[in-house]
Amino acid sequence: MATTDVQGRAVAGTGGGAPFTWSMVLPMVRAGLFGFTGYFGAAWITAMLAHTVIVNPLPATIGYLVGLLGWVMGSGIWDGWIRRAFGGEESPSLTGVERYFRFSSDPKATAVRYIFFNITAFLFAGLAAMAIRIELLTPDSTGWWLSEVHYNQTFGIHGLMMLLAVAASAIVGGMGYYLLPMMLGARTVIFPRLLGLSWWLLPPAAVAVFMSPLIGGFQTGWWGYPPLAQNSGAGIVFYTLGAATLLTSSVLGGINIIGTIVYMRAKGMSLGRIPMFVWGLFAAGTILIVEAPATFTGTLMDLSDMILGSHFYTGPTGHPLAYDDQFWWLFHPEVYVFVLPAFALWLEILPTAAQRPVFARNWGIAGILGITMIGAMVGVHHYFTAVSAERMPIFMTITETISIPSGFVFLSALGTLWGARLKLSSPALLCLMAMMNFLIGGLTGIFNADVPADLQLHNTYWVIGHFHYTILGSVIFSWLAGLYWWFPKATGRMVNEFWAKFHAWWFFIFFNMTFLPMFVLGIEGMNRRIAVYLPYLHPLNEFVSISSFFLGAGFLIPLANLLISWRSGKKAPQNPWGSKSLEWHSPSPTPYIVFPEGSDVTVVGPNDNYAAGAPEPFVWAPTTAGK
Amino acid sequence: MAVNGTNGLMDPAPERAKRGAFFFPMMFVGIIVAAWCLARFMWAGTSVPKGADFGVGAGLTIIMILSLGPMLGARGKLSRGQDAGALGNLTVLLLAGVLMIAGIISTWGAVPIGSAYGGIYDVTSGWIGLYFVGGVLALLASLMKGKRVPARFSGERWVAHNVLSFWGELVLLWTMFFIVFYLA
Repeated sequence: MATTDVQGRAVAGTGGGAPFTWSMVLPMVRAGLFGFTGYFGAAWITAMLAHTVIVNPLPATIGYLVGLLGWVMGSGIWDGWIRRAFGGEESPSLTGVERYFRFSSDPKATAVRYIFFNITAFLFAGLAAMAIRIELLTPDSTGWWLSEVHYNQTFGIHGLMMLLAVAASAIVGGMGYYLLPMMLGARTVIFPRLLGLSWWLLPPAAVAVFMSPLIGGFQTGWWGYPPLAQNSGAGIVFYTLGAATLLTSSVLGGINIIGTIVYMRAKGMSLGRIPMFVWGLFAAGTILIVEAPATFTGTLMDLSDMILGSHFYTGPTGHPLAYDDQFWWLFHPEVYVFVLPAFALWLEILPTAAQRPVFARNWGIAGILGITMIGAMVGVHHYFTAVSAERMPIFMTITETISIPSGFVFLSALGTLWGARLKLSSPALLCLMAMMNFLIGGLTGIFNADVPADLQLHNTYWVIGHFHYTILGSVIFSWLAGLYWWFPKATGRMVNEFWAKFHAWWFFIFFNMTFLPMFVLGIEGMNRRIAVYLPYLHPLNEFVSISSFFLGAGFLIPLANLLISWRSGKKAPQNPWGSKSLEWHSPSPTPYIVFPEGSDVTVVGPNDNYAAGAPEPFVWAPTTAGK
Repeated sequence: MAVNGTNGLMDPAPERAKRGAFFFPMMFVGIIVAAWCLARFMWAGTSVPKGADFGVGAGLTIIMILSLGPMLGARGKLSRGQDAGALGNLTVLLLAGVLMIAGIISTWGAVPIGSAYGGIYDVTSGWIGLYFVGGVLALLASLMKGKRVPARFSGERWVAHNVLSFWGELVLLWTMFFIVFYLA
């Protein structure tokens, strides 16, 4: 008998929490021990063999690779994957709280680890931002805070960590990996162990980048441009290795996203019925698989120049500009890896908040896919100042074309809201704020795409303002929206709405007070990447710095709100937002096995039909024999 | 809490899905080598220096092309459910993989890495060498699983299929590498 009710089907022996024991933290401790021992052991041995010191590029590289291997081996991957793969004993699945602390094939556990990692990385990279703004409180480099060298190292670490350790996986990792199988009606992702591995690559990469000043740091910013890279401290090897590792992690996730969408959709889930959020993940996964190789190879070739003696970017046969091409081949589209899932998240949350279907749904999907395709060809606009005149109009035109599919997405969101009675919950409010911020970020980006304007604005704070409006203003606002929206799903409790909205306004006000003046600073001629500036820019910089301190301190509010709500928040009903999406068909908090064995879902309609009396889009039926 | 009976439920993708989705990681690793093969022309033009060890390169290419036989044979046997017979073919491929790794290492240094050709040659062949290390480990894992727990090997036949698909890609990539670095 077909039914829409799957709640009564308990799976024996699953779920439930076990007491917190030493065995839970053992894999983390073991991984750390193996990682540090591996790093120092290998670096020392290499240094002795090469008659050098451990902070030189070669020992640091070998140490990093061995340390990474040690960390992964300590994570529990031996029990959870390798031993089994070689025909050894099969370990039981850990279904309690233990799975969050070790290598696990459960995508939900992986996703939760992503969230904790992203929040931690965000706080540390945010502290780096505060250090930058403290330095810029005064026009000169006074010596009481960061030296100019340390300033360069700090903004490089801040940029790389915010982009690759936060923005790249905040929505895709924490929410995407959690929700992807649930939204598609699958019980897991296509390669769950590969996804589990993707998280375990993150911490050593982040630690290496944060610790890079200990071996000399790097002064290239987050770009790692040669030949400066080869002349700015041995810490650059931690930059290249860290970036390559973080990219590898992203690609492992991207493979799972695409494979799961293509092969594991529920019966009846045609392309038109795929949830909007999943379309955003699809775009991110596609970009990563197709475009990451060029940048990945660039980081390795840069490393090869430093430790093996090749001359790809330096020396008589080197082509420094080739690095720029390789770097921006992915790292411009990478911003779409950040932002397209955010766009899609708006189109997931707002229709539910408005209780209306997505307006012009197919145009919204076309917008997401259009940005994916056009975005692959625009990286050159990041270095108009370095390319031939023939390339400029081509890449200017292509870049400006992106505003067309972006407009589709915005029109789809605005059309959904038009005339609707929006229930303004904190996630919906944050989505609206994110849209507003991205509008400013997008419109100011047109000036960066326009060659005559860009040649004036290129190296100024205008670019800093534009970029933060698109990433912090859009992605991080959306990240918070998503965290609040699916918090009841993961924890079974509601976030405190008052504090969520209080912080949303705090964030919105101080975000704009921090970054809007940067456009003025840019036009007034303030250079980016430089620790000193001319005195006439001092008052506005002081205003920006003080605003940024309020902005940064404000993040303690959602941190406390999430932790307190998790512990003692109001119990959440199964579907608190009245969503028709499939993930809300399972109990909250999500049990270990989301959709119990014995029943399968069939999709019979769109998941955003909120008309009164509309039929349920999902029908559950017992699994047919032999399936 | 440990539960013994849920491995299958938490990994329920059918064989078709597991084999089909393996195309995506193969595409990623393929694009990397293709990018480096193109880069060879940018950094080193079209001339092959005299020091390049053509004989070893040609020998390794012949090994790879010949390995298509056991690879296709293994695929056929797996498709027919003759798992024990396929293990012999996997052993042959494992030996070929070890030979390839040794051969690749032996070519390093023939042209100095500081030269334009030597740099891109060593990086590309080194990266392909890493693929062979991965392939050898995957073959070894399949062999050991097939010997130790034949039932599990049969239940997860997609793993062996994917290992063979990866080997097929290695044949393609190495042949492309040989053409680009020795003949073009």
